[in-house]
Amino acid sequence: MTAQEVRLCGLLLREHFGEVVEKVGTHLLRGGAQNLRTIIHETGISLDLVKKSLCVLVQHGACVFSSGRKGPGSPTEYRTSCDRILRILRYPRYIYTAKTLYGDTGELIIEELLQRGHMTMSSTVKTVADRLTQNMEEGRCMDYSEVATAFAKLVETHFLQRCPPMVKAGTTGSATPATPATPGTPAAPVSTAPPTPESFPDCYKVPHMTLVGRGKRQLCSEEGEDQRNAKKARMDSQTHGDEGISWQVNFERFHLHFRDQAIISAVANKCDQTSSEILRTMLRMSEVTTSPTATCTKPLSANEIFRSLPTSYNIARPILDQYLTLLVDDPMEFVGKAGESGGGMYVVNLHTALANLARATLESVVQERFGSRSARIFRLLLRKRHLEQKQVEDFAMIPAKEAKDMLYTLLSQNLVQLQEIPKTPDFAPSRTFYLYTVNQLPTARMLLQNCYKTVANLIERRLFESKESKRLLEKSQRIEAILASLQASGAEPEQLTEVEEMITATEKQQLEALRLHINKLDSAENQVDESIFLIESYVTSTASTS
Amino acid sequence: MSEVKLKKETNILDVAELENRIKELCQQFPHGITDQVIQNDMPHLEPQQRAMAINKLLSLGQLDLLRNSSGLLYRMKDTQSNSKMKGSDNQEKLVYQVIEDAGNKGIWSRDIRFKSNLPLTEVNKILKNLESKKLIKAVKSVAASKKKVYMLYNLQPDRSVTGGAWYSDQDFESEFVEVLNQQCFKFLQSKAETARDSKQSPMVQRNSSFATSHEVWKYICELGISKVDLSMDDIETILNTLIYDGKVEMTIIAAKEGTVGSVDGQMKLYRGVNAVIQPTGLVRTPCGLCPVFDDCHEGGEISPSNCIYMTEWLDF
Ligand code: SF4
Repeated sequence: MTAQEVRLCGLLLREHFGEVVEKVGTHLLRGGAQNLRTIIHETGISLDLVKKSLCVLVQHGACVFSSGRKGPGSPTEYRTSCDRILRILRYPRYIYTAKTLYGDTGELIIEELLQRGHMTMSSTVKTVADRLTQNMEEGRCMDYSEVATAFAKLVETHFLQRCPPMVKAGTTGSATPATPATPGTPAAPVSTAPPTPESFPDCYKVPHMTLVGRGKRQLCSEEGEDQRNAKKARMDSQTHGDEGISWQVNFERFHLHFRDQAIISAVANKCDQTSSEILRTMLRMSEVTTSPTATCTKPLSANEIFRSLPTSYNIARPILDQYLTLLVDDPMEFVGKAGESGGGMYVVNLHTALANLARATLESVVQERFGSRSARIFRLLLRKRHLEQKQVEDFAMIPAKEAKDMLYTLLSQNLVQLQEIPKTPDFAPSRTFYLYTVNQLPTARMLLQNCYKTVANLIERRLFESKESKRLLEKSQRIEAILASLQASGAEPEQLTEVEEMITATEKQQLEALRLHINKLDSAENQVDESIFLIESYVTSTASTS
Repeated sequence: MSEVKLKKETNILDVAELENRIKELCQQFPHGITDQVIQNDMPHLEPQQRAMAINKLLSLGQLDLLRNSSGLLYRMKDTQSNSKMKGSDNQEKLVYQVIEDAGNKGIWSRDIRFKSNLPLTEVNKILKNLESKKLIKAVKSVAASKKKVYMLYNLQPDRSVTGGAWYSDQDFESEFVEVLNQQCFKFLQSKAETARDSKQSPMVQRNSSFATSHEVWKYICELGISKVDLSMDDIETILNTLIYDGKVEMTIIAAKEGTVGSVDGQMKLYRGVNAVIQPTGLVRTPCGLCPVFDDCHEGGEISPSNCIYMTEWLDF
């Protein structure tokens, strides 16, 4: 865990859970596994607050606990990891993706689960149905069963998964999944190393749930209040048969989806729309058959691909073959040929594609930051591996003086490395080859850290901007509240304008500017997260294969 | 004397004409000509006459007689060196010889000194002398700007000395290179666009987006943007920079011998391509381009809260 990661995690924790959780969280990140006493002692926060903070972290899966390292009976230790906390940055993207795939219902299900960490299916369905009903026209409402279907869909496609069951204290090892992860009492159970959710056979099994009814509005309308209340009471006392099974968002599954999306859009940029649709079909066919860490998809025959193409694309069989051949020929190597049977067997080279996309990301950084001629040198070195300065000048056609300048700038930013190879053992400079190289993996790692720092900077700036205009924001909120209550009580229009004018024109302008700034910073954070995603995926995929 | 000349006039004229013709032939084939060549050129000539003319040229020192695997060769002797070296001493002749041997690559004065075994001051004096007689010239090499090399006055310096088409007066013409780079790309790009718009089958589209290096070369020559003659190699060097710019891809295909643009049975095909990604998110923020990125800390002298780059970017 680098300082940049910890700083960014701290900021994310502060934004979502407040400063106390930030303090406990960063303390855990810096200090590694610790027991409750040490945390209290070293942070100087009261026992109660530390406990609550840990609850929050555990609830969101950002903290695990295990019995102490000093053998049985030693105090429970808590551990957090950056990985899970950094996912907070990606929440908007998960939610947005759920919306595009499964509509408003999917969006709200994911949003609720992200906000609360984990929930049972029945309570998720209820909350979501209520929220949807809230936004519907008067008199219409959302059926629970409809939300439940969407929920089951999300489980079926693995976007949601069961939380791994907690193991009861004392029964280390022997799985007694009866005890659910009840929020609020995380300190009690003790378990060994945390199991992965997918190691449980029921991970993607939707439990039987008895939940009938429909979403309710909070602001009561006229329709039979008594009846509603009675129903509510009845509902709440009911059990739905799924108690103790909580669900969480499966980030890995979302990441696979993002990865596929990245590959598809790269093909659309490089080749054309049709090629990208063919690739989309191939990836969709492989979703279930290919393991998340595989370097390439299972081979697909041209026949199968042809059958799976949506008919609306209108691609004739010979044309499909041509497209596939072109994709195989493309130097980006997104698609590879695995055999001749079935009209040709094709695979999508997932890891190669990630590596190529990461390379394009690095190139784009150099290009934008140091200009296209430095980028030429950078790409040249990526292709030719080792080059002397003179060779760089000749290949890139850049005058000696400028080339030297650019190489030194890249060198000082660690984007390019210099290797010395002495011809004689005395290391005399005149008898030494000086070779420039680019090492893609370390460079990617470094840029990843830069991305973390950049996001942290953007968040800091956003917090600063809102703090600067705190007074103004509060004022406008107050006025809006007054306006709302006046409107509700049916006030005169003059009265309304009078209240409205309490905010001056300049203040309005300021508010507008602030809104623009915050939006800009927000979307920049999301954009940088896309860079982070690509580089992270490349780094982990390379680490898993080598 | 005049009487004798008059008597033999027709004959002499013939001989003079013959000599000139032989000299012309020699100039045409600087590597030397055989008897056969002269015979083919002037079939009506008596062997005796031919021999006489050649003998005369040889005795005048205007022709060299060489022997190679295929027989005797006549070659033009450098007439200038003969006439202009008159009045030079042996040392001068030696230095001249050394420089002549170096050909159009030229030779460094230090190396002249080693080869001729003359003291430095002497060599410098001789060089100055020869230079003033316009027998040799000094050329600045692009390899090292302070290094001068000497070569015979009438020689065209080698590419390694002048740097080829990309140099004028030892200065690398970087703007020229960039202009060519852009023009080549424009050409390939428009070709790719026409191919895309043709709405033909994908394979045909791809194949028609390719251009051979010869086609690009022809296009550039016809544009007439270059004052110097560019070779196909020159254009390929430029096309390579486009590959490193990530804008162009190259494929090598086998070509029938004798196809235009093919070299050793291979043909290089180039085509313009689109980038796989938009500029990445990181560089769309001020921090991604920030020159003081490493010095920026919250609460420090430079911090995200007081950063002017951010302010500018936000107000943009
Ligand atoms: S906040 Fe400003 S100073 Fe700091 S890294 Fe970003 S652009 Fe540079």
